[in-house]
Amino acid sequence: MTEQEALIREAIAAEADQAVDYRAVLANLHGKRSRRRPMALIAAATLTVVAAAVAVIVPLSMGRNASPPPVDPAAPPATPQTVLLIGLDGETNTDAIVLARVGADGTVSAASLPRDLWVDIPGRGMGRLNSAYPEAHAAAQAEGQDGDTAGAQALVQTVAALVGMEIDHYAAVDMARFASLADAVGGVDVCLKAAARESYSGIDLPAGRQSLNGEQALAFLRQRVGLRNGDLDRVRRHQAFLRSLAAEVAGLDDPAKLARLVETARSAVRTDPDWNLLEFAGQLTPNARTATIPVNPDLIETRTNPAFAIDPADAKAFAAEFFADQPTQPIASPVPTSRNPDDGCVD
Amino acid sequence: MPDDDYDQFVTERLDRLLRYATALTCDKYLAQDIVQDVLLRARQRWARIGAVDVPYLYVKRMVTNEYLSWRRRRAARDVSSTHSALDELAPVVADPAVRHAERDAMRARIAVLPRKQRAALVLRYYEDSTDAEIAQILGCAEGTVRSHISRALQKLRINENTPSEVLR
Repeated sequence: MTEQEALIREAIAAEADQAVDYRAVLANLHGKRSRRRPMALIAAATLTVVAAAVAVIVPLSMGRNASPPPVDPAAPPATPQTVLLIGLDGETNTDAIVLARVGADGTVSAASLPRDLWVDIPGRGMGRLNSAYPEAHAAAQAEGQDGDTAGAQALVQTVAALVGMEIDHYAAVDMARFASLADAVGGVDVCLKAAARESYSGIDLPAGRQSLNGEQALAFLRQRVGLRNGDLDRVRRHQAFLRSLAAEVAGLDDPAKLARLVETARSAVRTDPDWNLLEFAGQLTPNARTATIPVNPDLIETRTNPAFAIDPADAKAFAAEFFADQPTQPIASPVPTSRNPDDGCVD
Repeated sequence: MPDDDYDQFVTERLDRLLRYATALTCDKYLAQDIVQDVLLRARQRWARIGAVDVPYLYVKRMVTNEYLSWRRRRAARDVSSTHSALDELAPVVADPAVRHAERDAMRARIAVLPRKQRAALVLRYYEDSTDAEIAQILGCAEGTVRSHISRALQKLRINENTPSEVLR
């Protein structure tokens, strides 16, 4: 064996050593099996952000319906805030990333960032957007520090650098808790352009308008395989679901349902230590508009895997316009917002 | 019982499959996705897969194909990736453990090889597969395997002699 071959062997072995712990994967695989839909948890994994958004909306409706959040009446008028909502798959994979800005008048603008964006990660160089969190998480844990916080902070820095905005707060949500949110509101209405049946997500829904229970919602939000635009279509589903859920919550006046919703939402959400969600929620209105940050739909080959290219200047221009604090109306945006002009139905 | 058989296979081979896939993809999360997807698919067809001589080889082939065919993409704009691979080398240069640094530099060079060349390399030098086995897994002739590997070796050699400043 030549010196070069020996070095190659060592290098490849070192790469292989990076593999994730098989026990976690084993647990995943076994978890799938005992359920009726064995494929479900696998392909999936995005939707957590929706839960994060709900966690924000829920206390709002609490405020209107029953117990007002403890807002100091003498407090200065609300200032606009920019927050990052992070959807976790139960481990450290950030499968949904949403940047939201809440204006002084309580309106919410939320932009989804595809997880496969090829971006500059501060301190690490170019990488896929969804590698920022797990890498920082692992590095922090190796030093005995809080991986969850480090991961979230790394992602916050990466997104802030990308869009050229300061991010005030973040909330991270565990998607495993998600299904119960849809159940807690007694079903969420969505509309499918075509019937969807696919085994990875376990989705099996007819075309048209329908109300989803928790289990169906999970599949609806998880399906990626079989969608024409993959993760991008999934993001649109999240947005449609979120809007519908927001409407559902706003119209909810059953205190028992509300209480369950609040409980579920709170247990699934982790925020930065300085962020008082309840107080923040007092500023909100249920009016939300959503968009996806514009990317070049052609995948690029990267060092490892395909990713979406994005021009940093485009990202900053998009953010500056979309998150402008006094949006002109109607929203004159060059980007395809997901507020469907037609019927709100999704692929 | 196919199910028991499958469980046993997964328990015995999962770690190795994950390591193989990680070496192949240079991305542990993608590796996890691929291995999970493949194993779930394999379970549905286990009655057949479990009956072949070497199920591991069959599943390894599924993993390899899943990666190689994982969205056909344009290779045009590959430049930034080369930069980032080289950027990763920068801190390593100061490392007093020279061998360690050399190894990591090699890792980065392997990571930018074309996929099929890298697959062939990983199969030979990590899985210790024969050319015939590699040919079977990649679905090509043995001659093609040898040319993948010799081209990969040549590229790794050239890069070795090229100061990184030049590539930058």
